[in-house]
Amino acid sequence: MTKNKLIFFIILSLLTAGGASAAAKKSIPSPALAAISGLSAADMPYDSGGTTLLSWDADPTAPAGTVYRVFVSSLETGGWIKAEEFGSGEKMSGSLDLPFWAWKTRPGVHEVKVELNNSFGEVNDGQVFHFKISKVGGAVSAESAAVSGSTRGNWFRLDRLNNIVMLALVTIVFFWAVSHAKRKGLFIRRIAGLDAIDEAIGRATEMGKPIYYVPGIGDMTMVSTIASTFILGEVSKKVAQYDSTIKVPHYNPVVMTVSKEVVKQAFLEAGRPDSFREDINQFISQDQFSYAASVDGMISREKPAACFFMGYFAAESLLLAEVGATTGAIQIAGTDAEGQLPFFFTSCDYTLIGEELYAAGAYLSKDPMLLSALKAQDFGKLVVMVSVVLGAITVSVCSLMHWGVFAQLIANLFKSY
Amino acid sequence: MKLIKKYIPLAIVFVFGILTLLTYYVPHKHSVNFLEAMNKWENIVSAFAFFLGLISLFYSHYAKISRKADGWGYSIFVYIGFLAIAVPAYVSHGKNMNGSSLTWLGWAFQYIYNPLSATMFAVLAFYIVSTAYKSFRIKSLQAFVLFVAAMVLILGNVPLGQMIWEKLFGWTSCAISDIVDWILHVPAVAGKRGIMIGIAIGAVVTALKIIFGIERQYLGKD
Repeated sequence: MTKNKLIFFIILSLLTAGGASAAAKKSIPSPALAAISGLSAADMPYDSGGTTLLSWDADPTAPAGTVYRVFVSSLETGGWIKAEEFGSGEKMSGSLDLPFWAWKTRPGVHEVKVELNNSFGEVNDGQVFHFKISKVGGAVSAESAAVSGSTRGNWFRLDRLNNIVMLALVTIVFFWAVSHAKRKGLFIRRIAGLDAIDEAIGRATEMGKPIYYVPGIGDMTMVSTIASTFILGEVSKKVAQYDSTIKVPHYNPVVMTVSKEVVKQAFLEAGRPDSFREDINQFISQDQFSYAASVDGMISREKPAACFFMGYFAAESLLLAEVGATTGAIQIAGTDAEGQLPFFFTSCDYTLIGEELYAAGAYLSKDPMLLSALKAQDFGKLVVMVSVVLGAITVSVCSLMHWGVFAQLIANLFKSY
Repeated sequence: MKLIKKYIPLAIVFVFGILTLLTYYVPHKHSVNFLEAMNKWENIVSAFAFFLGLISLFYSHYAKISRKADGWGYSIFVYIGFLAIAVPAYVSHGKNMNGSSLTWLGWAFQYIYNPLSATMFAVLAFYIVSTAYKSFRIKSLQAFVLFVAAMVLILGNVPLGQMIWEKLFGWTSCAISDIVDWILHVPAVAGKRGIMIGIAIGAVVTALKIIFGIERQYLGKD
């Protein structure tokens, strides 16, 4: 009996001790999260409206794993929608992708863009929204008081100031070069691909075979297509002068309409309006491979003396250029699609690279006003070259001297926003 | 006449060119709406131009057939191809699927258009081989550099090439994948960026030439 009582007391004391330990554990208070302070809602600058910028003080004492949740509502009470969730160390003031002249970084402050369009669809200027932040760390949480704010569309992208300065500089040089061209001639380096155009047209005339001019698959809003129509004008003029034959198969009907006018004008200027035929420009198809197949068929059957591929091209570049090469035609290509340049290099006799395509119209026309614009192009390239060299040196020196902030400022100047 | 043929088009180009340029610097909703309106207009003009294109296509092929020009038989297929898609599209009300089954249009796309398009795309593989052969003919120092770079890339992308590299150059402790990465991310990107910078500046200058009416060949000279 005594033995049983002893066992009972031992078990009881163990249970009591365990319970006391649990109670002791329960009585240790969890570290409370600091209150969220300094919450404010402002209109996000430099946008079209519909985005609010929330900012509040960061909590350096927040334990690891603490997350912030951003809630937004269009109602004064309730109706909260979670807009954002992120860790306590994220979305600090410096993380906004804005340059130093457009935004002042505030250390120790969270700044979060809340895109209201994502949650509420179209947002009107001045429409008021309510925001609150909750901070959650394990089992404890803290919540801010709600703040209100509205958004509006802005009228100027100050962050793109570097871009507008560069544009202004190029425009000034452009006008200077144009006015300079009127006074005296300018030296323009020779472009072999364009010098070969005369040779190609002459060959076609001698052989009595047609010339194919393929303006690519770009639409009329693309610079390469616009440049292509300029070249087409000059090529057509020479074709009319030599009384040769040109065929222009089109992918885009708008380009066809413009090209028709360009070719007609070229024949008129060459004094051969009677040689112009409506079927010089022919619409083929607005499907990439149907167009390639059809043009390939035409080239294979008619075996032209010269093929020009000028404009924007994609996968059909090689399909066209290789078929042209098998017919033995002189081939001159020009595109700004850098992915297609290697194909043209290997399959064509001459290739104009990007900017040469844009310059070709001016080069062929020999109009001093147009040629002078090439000087502005050269100036732009000079600025880029000097910037690349100086930028590389500056950033390297800053890295060696641990001047990270200065390097960041330099990088801001040359970044696109 | 000069007013209609020259000055009004130039004024339209100038005003809309400047306004479109400004939309890049003005983020306001009016600016966004303006761009959207321009895109809609472009689509409307394209639709009309497409109709003109179709007329041009039919007219030129009709002329070929009536003249019995060389290869006039191919021109018949233009009409057959057009009808093979246009009639099913009309019957199927422009829909590819009717529930889970193919409509006539869907059938025409799946069993006529897609195989033809895929065949044309597949031909590209053979042309790439022929182009690669042309590129690899070593005629100059530059061609030799291109050949070496291309060989390293080819070796780096096939297991057999990696095994050969390990056998021959394993002692250098330099993996072929590192060299492939370097070629792709340093010299190739440098060349590409050079071209892209030239293109960007050329595009700006071409745009200025058009906006300010210095380049107006698209209008005709007079």
